[in-house]
Amino acid sequence: MATRMKLKLKTVFVLYFMVSLMGLIYALMQLGQRCDCAEHDMPKDRTISRLRGELHRLQEQMRKAEPTKLPQKLAVKPAQPTIYVITPTYTRFVQKAELTRLAQTFLHVPQLHWILVEDSPHKTPLVSGFLASSGLAYTHLHTPTPRDRKLQEGDPSWLKPRGAEQRNEGLRWLREDRRGQPGADTQLGVVYFADDDNTYSLQLFEEMRGTQRVSVWPVGLVGGMRYERPVVEGGKVVRFHTGWRPSRPFPLDMAGFAVSLKLVIANQDACFDGDAPMGFLESSFLQGLVTMDELEPKAENCTKVLVWHTRTEKPKMKREEALQKQGLGSDTAVEDNDPTHLQAL
Amino acid sequence: MPKRRDILAIVLIVLPWTLLITVWHQSAIAPLLAIRKDDGADGGRRDVGQASDSKEYCSSDKDIVEVVRTEYVYTRPPPWSDVLPTIHIITPTYSRPVQKAELTRLANTFLHVANLHWILVEDSQRRTPLVTRMLRETGLNYTHLNVETPRNYKLRGDTRDPRIPRGTMQRNLALRWLRETFNSNSSQAGIVYFADDDNTYSLELFEEMRSTRKVSVWPVAFVGGLRYESPKVNAAGKVYGWKTVFDPHRPFAIDMAGFAINLRLILFKPQAYFKLRGVKGGYQESSLLRELVTLNDLEPKAANCTKILVWHTRTEKPVLVNEGKKGFTDPNVEI
Repeated sequence: MATRMKLKLKTVFVLYFMVSLMGLIYALMQLGQRCDCAEHDMPKDRTISRLRGELHRLQEQMRKAEPTKLPQKLAVKPAQPTIYVITPTYTRFVQKAELTRLAQTFLHVPQLHWILVEDSPHKTPLVSGFLASSGLAYTHLHTPTPRDRKLQEGDPSWLKPRGAEQRNEGLRWLREDRRGQPGADTQLGVVYFADDDNTYSLQLFEEMRGTQRVSVWPVGLVGGMRYERPVVEGGKVVRFHTGWRPSRPFPLDMAGFAVSLKLVIANQDACFDGDAPMGFLESSFLQGLVTMDELEPKAENCTKVLVWHTRTEKPKMKREEALQKQGLGSDTAVEDNDPTHLQAL
Repeated sequence: MPKRRDILAIVLIVLPWTLLITVWHQSAIAPLLAIRKDDGADGGRRDVGQASDSKEYCSSDKDIVEVVRTEYVYTRPPPWSDVLPTIHIITPTYSRPVQKAELTRLANTFLHVANLHWILVEDSQRRTPLVTRMLRETGLNYTHLNVETPRNYKLRGDTRDPRIPRGTMQRNLALRWLRETFNSNSSQAGIVYFADDDNTYSLELFEEMRSTRKVSVWPVAFVGGLRYESPKVNAAGKVYGWKTVFDPHRPFAIDMAGFAINLRLILFKPQAYFKLRGVKGGYQESSLLRELVTLNDLEPKAANCTKILVWHTRTEKPVLVNEGKKGFTDPNVEI
């Protein structure tokens, strides 16, 4: 019996060591090799990752397809009114540059929705592409100015009021968009008309956010003066300090006021009159909306300049024109106004 | 009884091994020893733990890391990074009605750029309160300098006399400040860029210039009477000429906004400055660059100089006719 036991024990030990040795060798061999992980239950994780990737792609596509884009970046404070900025724009050499630096300013302003309206019969690829990559919440609209109201080549800029149709289109979209969303909260907002060549300080947007009806403030470098401004006495606007036709109902610049969204919706017919005489465009809109003593003065009782009516020079293209006469112009085959479309140099 | 003991012994010996084998195939241990094949077919980006020795261990990657999209950061300016090279932007400026507007929108652009250091040099006898206050309010990382261009060097009235380029003394002062502040041994990586206060810069431009090793170049829109001027880049990715109409045979036929210099190069060649006197129109950039680098060393950016990332915009001089002789508006109101 003892021999049997001993034999058995010896066998067991031998067996034990053989199995251990084989196990170790197997493990050591595994170390130096690549493993095909498809055998493990990675497929589940891979499926999850693949689906997430697809979800991402679909979300991107959805966003691109919609005319309105809403970034989900900011922690949305529901109480903060949205500032709707309506900007008319038109194709010219400096358009992309102007929109670029305008967007760089707007990106700093929370709860801002940019309504960009092109003076064009169709959406241009330059603006579409620009808006899609801007990172802003936007709505891209377009409406052409009728020929008789359009400035012709060589006309001075003050001859005809510009941007009236585009601003009206922005208002129309805004009103229609709000109609589809009932509720008191959706009427919370401020509408501001920002031209694409002006300069805006970030403080301006915070000043206008609390507009109840129509708020006003000074504008720099306009009306042939260092600035134009409403004159405030006792917290109310009593008159306007301007050098040009102060007898206008509202001798303000487009950049010098903001209207609450509620007021815009309550007055469905209020719009800009494209036939108004020069300088009366703003008045044509504000006249039906508000009276002078209802105006809310901002910017420390209208003593600080937070927006400037800058204008950008038209770049001189004499050499370009000379080259084109010789047939050597840069990228004649490409859309003339997008300097980013460079062909083989 | 011995039989039972034997059986017990066998069981005790075999048990750990059976456990090992079953657990092994459950892949909890296997991935620690196995190597994952790099698979890019999935939408997610895998986070490999020990990236260096890819042949040996790889992390048990149960949680797939999604591709991180750059979420927009609304802190102004962005937090300072220890890794990114600092971009030193040298901007000469001078008092005129549109100055505050120009600097405001320039600041709005710069507030998006990480690790930016703005060196604003005024053309004035003293640092003006307007600029001082404005710089402080932006929250940017800045240095405020000033040097007045002597009257005989200044542009006369509105005439754009190309023989006296504006901003030269101011830019040179900034270069001198950089050389006094940073010594060549310091490891602080930096890029120097000359940005005029009326141009327009895209945010992409600053990221392109961050990787400059010596001098990098790119196209600029609205200069030289063209839609854009640009360096000519050959198939090897080297600059061999300049696509301009105005004097393309200049050593560096490029606008001030079309190039950036690595700070190390500036410190390495402490004698290199913009030439003040006797510089022909359009040669100011060459007067500095030819002391720093040759054509061969230039690094083309912006997709081999095929994209426009900076526009040489100019702001109209506002017509202040209604101010009259005495000034209609209150001069104390700052514009």
